[in-house]
Amino acid sequence: MITRRDLFKVAGVGAVALAVAPGAVKPSFGAPKKISIEDSLKEHLGVGLSALKESNLIHIKAPTIAESGANVPVQVKANIPVDQVQALYIFADANFNPWVTTVEFSPMNGEVFFATRIKLAKTSPVRAVIKMKDGSLLAAAKEVKVTVGGCG
Amino acid sequence: MSRLGRAIVRVPRRISKGQVFKVQMVITHPMETGLRKDKKTGKVIPAHYITKVEFLFNGQKVTTLHTGPGVSKNPYFAIMMKATESGTLTIKYEDNKGGKWEKSVKINVS
Repeated sequence: MITRRDLFKVAGVGAVALAVAPGAVKPSFGAPKKISIEDSLKEHLGVGLSALKESNLIHIKAPTIAESGANVPVQVKANIPVDQVQALYIFADANFNPWVTTVEFSPMNGEVFFATRIKLAKTSPVRAVIKMKDGSLLAAAKEVKVTVGGCG
Repeated sequence: MSRLGRAIVRVPRRISKGQVFKVQMVITHPMETGLRKDKKTGKVIPAHYITKVEFLFNGQKVTTLHTGPGVSKNPYFAIMMKATESGTLTIKYEDNKGGKWEKSVKINVS
């Protein structure tokens, strides 16, 4: 005899099956996974967040509050001679893919400067990491508040 | 987008020798992340973004940018450059769908 309790059980299993089904199908479409800042740093720099040295030589100019996350102006300047710098990396922590850009400098640049506009999914720190020619890494971060995300 | 891949480059009109000047550029490009869905069809819009921008002055490499989908639509880039002689600044850029473009500007050093 089917009791009320049994009926709930069956209904429950059905609901679970339904909930699982779309999840099981998704990976076959190659749905991308959110990359954490830690993994992204490891991929591009070979080290994690803890290995970065905070430096006051790097200045990030970005708005404290961005109205739209689709278009956040970021300017990075560093008081380091350009011939000692190999590359500049920009990361946005909360983005789906935190890596934004890599800039390779040459002595012809004259100074370490780069400006662009980036997308931010939500409020997160924007990080600038400078890789020196001797292999050391200098970093700076600035928190940008986002009212409307721009990565959707 | 018929204007896809067009760029506007701005450099100062007059540059004195040894001066460090700013090079600004804007490329017309959608910079699709590949995560957005078309609101009408519900299909994912495929990723389409600039992957590499190269600044060459008289054939010599000045700056190379590697960019991902995290850069805004119609990307803006600015770099500093030091010129010791007049010449041509060539900017080569490409996207992940095989699009390749080039833009040149003259730089007059007096």
